[in-house]
Amino acid sequence: MTGRRPIAVLVLAVACLLSAGMAPAQGPRVEPPAGGLRQLPSGQTDPSTPPSVPAEPSTPELIVDLSRARVSITSAFHGESLLLFGMFDPPGEVVVVVGGPPAREMVLRKQRVLGLWLNTGRQSFDDVPAYYAIAASQPLQRLLARGAGGEILSLEDRLSTIKPVGERDAARLAQFRAGLVEVKRREGLYPAAIGQVTVQAGRLFRVELPLPSRLPEGVYEIRTYLLREGKIVAAVSRPLPVGKVGFNAQLAGWADNEGPLYGLGAIVMALLVGWIGGAVMRRI
Amino acid sequence: MEIYLPIAEQSMNVFVLLGLGAAAGLLAGMFGVGGGFLATPLLIFVGIPPAVAVASQANQVVANSISSLQVQWRRGNVDLRMGLVLLLGGMLGSTAGVSLFTYLKEIGQIDFVIAVLYVVLLSTIGALMLFESLRTYLRRRRNPEAPRGKLHTHYLVHRLPLKLRFYKSKLYISALLPIGLGFAIGVLSAILGVGGGFVLVPAMIYLLGMPTGVVIGTSNFQILFVAANVTFLQAATNGTVDVVLALLLILGGVVGAPIGSRVAAKLPGVVLRGLMALLILAVAAELLTELLRTPSSLYSLGTREVLQ
Repeated sequence: MTGRRPIAVLVLAVACLLSAGMAPAQGPRVEPPAGGLRQLPSGQTDPSTPPSVPAEPSTPELIVDLSRARVSITSAFHGESLLLFGMFDPPGEVVVVVGGPPAREMVLRKQRVLGLWLNTGRQSFDDVPAYYAIAASQPLQRLLARGAGGEILSLEDRLSTIKPVGERDAARLAQFRAGLVEVKRREGLYPAAIGQVTVQAGRLFRVELPLPSRLPEGVYEIRTYLLREGKIVAAVSRPLPVGKVGFNAQLAGWADNEGPLYGLGAIVMALLVGWIGGAVMRRI
Repeated sequence: MEIYLPIAEQSMNVFVLLGLGAAAGLLAGMFGVGGGFLATPLLIFVGIPPAVAVASQANQVVANSISSLQVQWRRGNVDLRMGLVLLLGGMLGSTAGVSLFTYLKEIGQIDFVIAVLYVVLLSTIGALMLFESLRTYLRRRRNPEAPRGKLHTHYLVHRLPLKLRFYKSKLYISALLPIGLGFAIGVLSAILGVGGGFVLVPAMIYLLGMPTGVVIGTSNFQILFVAANVTFLQAATNGTVDVVLALLLILGGVVGAPIGSRVAAKLPGVVLRGLMALLILAVAAELLTELLRTPSSLYSLGTREVLQ
């Protein structure tokens, strides 16, 4: 399996290249980054461009695909690892940023009151990403040193942009922000380590993204950047829907939208199983 | 083997949940109480959010009580009139309880209130039961022939208005007392996810003075409807009933209960009550240490709202 994977990746990448050439609307969206082209060093030519093609500067190619188009939460789901792979025009380094859907989160803090630990402090933040992970082909500090930092945010930078609700005291907010990271880390939603993007043959790359069992639903955004000399020269954004499917989705949907009906169903289920189960077990 | 729980939104080991259900069923079979008072804290210990644990446990209690009621009803051990009066209070209490639960959840104090209520309730009942069974045991050893004395004098019960005659229980008491008792059990049931049998049964014997023969059946009758009401209201207002979780607990309980009643048939009542008292005290002690011990993390997350 592992031996065949790089070949499969290559085949897929080629297929993507072909389809992107024929039907660009269906391929992954390639966004020219703001000012990305202008920032290209003037003397540099794109090595992938054949000499016959007019030497018009174009966005360097960056193709990205995922092992699955969506994350399906089935009954057997207990977290999974998502493979992101692709191809880029060398030279360059690749950075991948995964952000979960933003929401308002309430952070609670315990304090000892009369010997008992209870939640006394609470602070809400808006625009908190449900999940946040970064992977890079080189240590991130080195890559971001030269100014791509405005676009690619480390977890700390990303969290400095979340908006506190109400409170103004900076010291207190910093504590709660740290608390938020602590809880999310524990749940595997903010992986502590920067993931490793591995590059093969100078132009194929892949990275495993760890997704924990307690994965909030929603549309995640996976942004892949191609960096040259610390500057973003190409960026691709892929949405990743995460959601329950099948029986789980139906149950959760009923519980959300048809609460009373779901409640009655739960009661009928309990009555039936309790009655039959009790009757059967007494015979044995 | 892991299974994803759609409402708790996390995966859990199937055998852990079946085992928890079986343990609760074992208690139900041995002592004639629901076992919810043990299962709910254990569910919270293994990481199920308290709101989901309580609501799903109420669903499990429905199955548990219909199972016991089947037998009790056939044996004629249900005082229907008393059951209905208790139920009147129980419905009011559980409805109020679910509202209180929703409020406590919103202000982020539900975990604390659940833990404190369990500690207070379990340690009181455990201590009383242990004391009672030790006293009975010692008295019987000293004088095996001594007749059992009258357990309670009912001065208050006889003075309240709205007196009703309960033929099966051979009682003529004010309806306010069972209504009040039902109300209190209803609140407990909604907040703690228990049937409340471990409070209701002693209260019916010692407070109302009901004959022991009809106590279990009548309490089962009231618990069945109160638990169904809690399940319905929790599903309708909070959406926290996880039927997959409940089903696993129920299946475990179905297997555990008959084993429990077979064990119970072989042990004398005093020993049984003493054992149960020790178990209740152990759960209370564990919950108390959780409240007193410095937590590994001071922080936790409350509600998450996706703003459209």
